[in-house]
Amino acid sequence: MKKTRNYLLAVSSLVIGALVFVSADHIDAPSSAGTTADIADFYAFEPTEGSDNTVFVVDLQSNVLPDLAYGTFDEDVLTEINIDLDGDLVEDQVIQAIVKDGRMYFFGPVAPTQAGLSSQVYTDAALGDVEISDSSAIVETTSSGVSLFAGPRQDPFFFDFFQFNAVISPELDSAPGGFLPPEEAADTFDGANTMSIVVEIPNSMLGTPTATNALGLSVYKTWVTTNRKQ
Amino acid sequence: MKLRQSIYFTALILAFGLAVSCSDDDNGTMSYMDDDMMSDDMMDDDMSVDFTGTFMQVDHLGRPGINTTLSVDMEGEASIKDAHNTTIPSEMVATFQTGFQARLEQYHDVYALKLGLDPADVNYENNILGLDAATLTTVLAADVLEVAPDVPTTYFNPGTDFDNDGRILVPDGDEVALTGRHPNDDIIDVSLILFFGGMEGTRFSGQDLDDDGMADLPRLTSDGVAVTADISAMFPYLGAPE
Repeated sequence: MKKTRNYLLAVSSLVIGALVFVSADHIDAPSSAGTTADIADFYAFEPTEGSDNTVFVVDLQSNVLPDLAYGTFDEDVLTEINIDLDGDLVEDQVIQAIVKDGRMYFFGPVAPTQAGLSSQVYTDAALGDVEISDSSAIVETTSSGVSLFAGPRQDPFFFDFFQFNAVISPELDSAPGGFLPPEEAADTFDGANTMSIVVEIPNSMLGTPTATNALGLSVYKTWVTTNRKQ
Repeated sequence: MKLRQSIYFTALILAFGLAVSCSDDDNGTMSYMDDDMMSDDMMDDDMSVDFTGTFMQVDHLGRPGINTTLSVDMEGEASIKDAHNTTIPSEMVATFQTGFQARLEQYHDVYALKLGLDPADVNYENNILGLDAATLTTVLAADVLEVAPDVPTTYFNPGTDFDNDGRILVPDGDEVALTGRHPNDDIIDVSLILFFGGMEGTRFSGQDLDDDGMADLPRLTSDGVAVTADISAMFPYLGAPE
């Protein structure tokens, strides 16, 4: 009995750290949480079946709870979409986005001169720019067939986040049945907004991947970073 | 005529300015022009924009929910979640896989205790992808989102059976999965299935074992919610803010 209790205490101390705010990446870590550089979510998809384009969506600063207002883009924050073609987990192409005076400027895709944690804006590889939207979307399409957007949008992430916290709680009487059935579950993010950056780009501008996923399909390996001006 | 000459002259200056600026990209400054530079508001659209400086990484995201669910911060110690956000992907497996695997087992221990069982008897079981705990956490520790350029996007659709061979849950070489993430994809349920679903994806799914109308096993493989936001088929795909 005592042994069980001690074990429970040990498990509880390990689990407790994740109890506060947990979601796709929304407020995932103490240093970035709640800042203008906080990445909420990242999507990468084929817009329609058979399309030769790929869409990247970066959501920044999700409010997590619908009653909090979304913010604005920060001129000191550089967002980078990294694309690894050969599967070595080192970026071969980057697409950059940074806001200035109410417009989002995009650069790349360009092979970075330096991979890793430090970046500079590749001003000699301008891709295009777009006015920051308000509630109605302003879209730019460049001569190379790239579509650009930046502004507030609905946060499409869905998760019964309060129940998740109850589920992972080590308290024995906390959600012993696990998650709720669909008729009782609630999407915590219903009504939430986020600051979105969306790029739709022809695959020909990214290159042909040689990397494969766990099922052997050819894939780009991608990730997004935010980087703060020093 | 005069106006057109004026436009032409200004365009020349702008073009020259652009060339000069771009020839020296070390300073990170650029003179920027829009596609519609010949329009009446051409002077407004041209600006010298300063993008100088060094930017240091503060946040990282590949697959959704990985750092948040599998990194554990301990009071009084440096934040592993912060460290994850400033680690390059090629170094992530070596840095985080062991902790991720321990965390996966801890989640099972929590439910063993809630079910009144010995935590040593309730452990992760190989999932629908056939991955053991070490392999799954190795895959997840390299936090990148894979997107296929030429096959349909699905984060993972457990109902997919492209060759109609009846093997719905266990990939047998013909399924399309791990090919990106669409806003409609239920990535939380997929993650829960991979963590708690076992070989068939339904190991802990609220089963009523003794047929008394009450669930005997916890519901851990779905959080029960579907997308509520507006998703459009047209760029930029996400609904207008609420």
